[in-house]
Amino acid sequence: MTHQFPGYGLFIGGFNGFSINQLHVIYYGLLWGGVRVRGCFRRWKQPLLRGEDWFFSVPVQHGFYSEEGATILRQYRVRMLSLFAIEVPAATAIFLSGQLQNLVWLILAMCILIHVNHVFSVNRAEQRAQKFATPGAEQPVSTIAISLKARRLRDFTNFKLEAAIAAISAAGLVWALRYYATAPEPRNLWIIFGTPLLLFYCQGGFLLAKVLIVAWRSPIPQVQAEEHIASREETRKFYLRTCDLGRINLAVTILFWPALLSAGPETREFAVKLWFAGSIVLGIVIAVWSEIKRKDMLKVTLRARPVKLPQFGGELGESSAPSDLWPLCYEPSAPTIILRSMRGYSLNLANRLTQLGAVYLAGLLALFVLIRFRL
Amino acid sequence: MFLTINAGDARPIYQQVADGIKELIASGKLAEGTPLPPVRQLAADLGVNLNTIATAYRELQRDGLLAVKHGSGSVVASSTTAERSLDELLRPLRTALTQMVLAGLPQKKILQLVINELQTVMQGRK
Repeated sequence: MTHQFPGYGLFIGGFNGFSINQLHVIYYGLLWGGVRVRGCFRRWKQPLLRGEDWFFSVPVQHGFYSEEGATILRQYRVRMLSLFAIEVPAATAIFLSGQLQNLVWLILAMCILIHVNHVFSVNRAEQRAQKFATPGAEQPVSTIAISLKARRLRDFTNFKLEAAIAAISAAGLVWALRYYATAPEPRNLWIIFGTPLLLFYCQGGFLLAKVLIVAWRSPIPQVQAEEHIASREETRKFYLRTCDLGRINLAVTILFWPALLSAGPETREFAVKLWFAGSIVLGIVIAVWSEIKRKDMLKVTLRARPVKLPQFGGELGESSAPSDLWPLCYEPSAPTIILRSMRGYSLNLANRLTQLGAVYLAGLLALFVLIRFRL
Repeated sequence: MFLTINAGDARPIYQQVADGIKELIASGKLAEGTPLPPVRQLAADLGVNLNTIATAYRELQRDGLLAVKHGSGSVVASSTTAERSLDELLRPLRTALTQMVLAGLPQKKILQLVINELQTVMQGRK
């Protein structure tokens, strides 16, 4: 058995046939293409969701879109579409090389790039639109409300689902151990356990993401407090559910891996194809579910009028001053992951969750290298 | 259950937090045994230094209103503060009344304001 790529690559390593390639193309063209086009439409309309008196969450003066606003809007949209300039040549190169399994890595890279680019583009566009905001809009509200309810991960946890994920993952692990014990020599430890190890690690990543989502700060203005709470909680729940869907997917893959190894050569290719087809169908179902939930979330979000919240930055002491290490800073007394300084936002390296995230990413990289080179 | 913080208030943030929690306890909205969020969560929500919230919690603990249970966070310990002398309790009231008199409010109006405030503070309390 050969395998060229960690994780997913391992999964299909040795099964590279024409039909599998076709499934890759379908996966990329149909599922990713659909999600990508829908995402572009969604981001295209996003600045005007609240009507022509708004640009994202900035209330703008009448006639904004016929003057400077048109330029800001166009530049935002061009920046959003500019990622096709990376994706199209990269996808073309992959198709020409015939290494279609690399499409999965391209999708992963594009997911990260799209989100980073979106956050950056929105932030930049809003900053520029602030100059044309309606008078008084830049003034933050004076009173904010904060919940005295403790936000703990267990309050956002479905224990039946957790039990199911744990049971499926444990079954997969036991099956892999049994396969290792009974498989004829020579047995390759990395082939049998490399992929499950990576999948378990990704499960941990999703859990860390859930902790971050739960911990994400959520002050609300006293005005329209209920609408703002509903909006924050709906958003939080959406992203937590998305993490859970990812974890279910990983758990099922952990179970599928030893099943695939145990299958005979004649059924192995069929199993891979079945898995691929299942992934495509499941991907479509998740994409549709995600769109429905996004629309629900949008309805709730639009009810809450965006306001500027006051910064109690002075209380943060040193962090309110420009950080020498921008965009990084080290503020042990500040509890937030992102700090606002005179030069913009900085990542607080003293935060426990930031440190955990950094350690996690380093571990993920090490694991990739280990599996790739089978150290 | 919400705590409101006003950016324009002359009191420091820790005092607003402590006073706000005291008001909620006095009104019965925060009953004995109710858990309070960890210092880290409250500080992160407000975007303030951890010490700001820790100071507020320490003040509540000193007044006997808050108990810190190791491993399970802080809970409302009592709906009455630790015993304090009448003179000590009257001092802030006297200061507030002085301010009202100096502001030129008539006695009847001051009395009405005090009764209204007392009713607001004690609403929901059994």
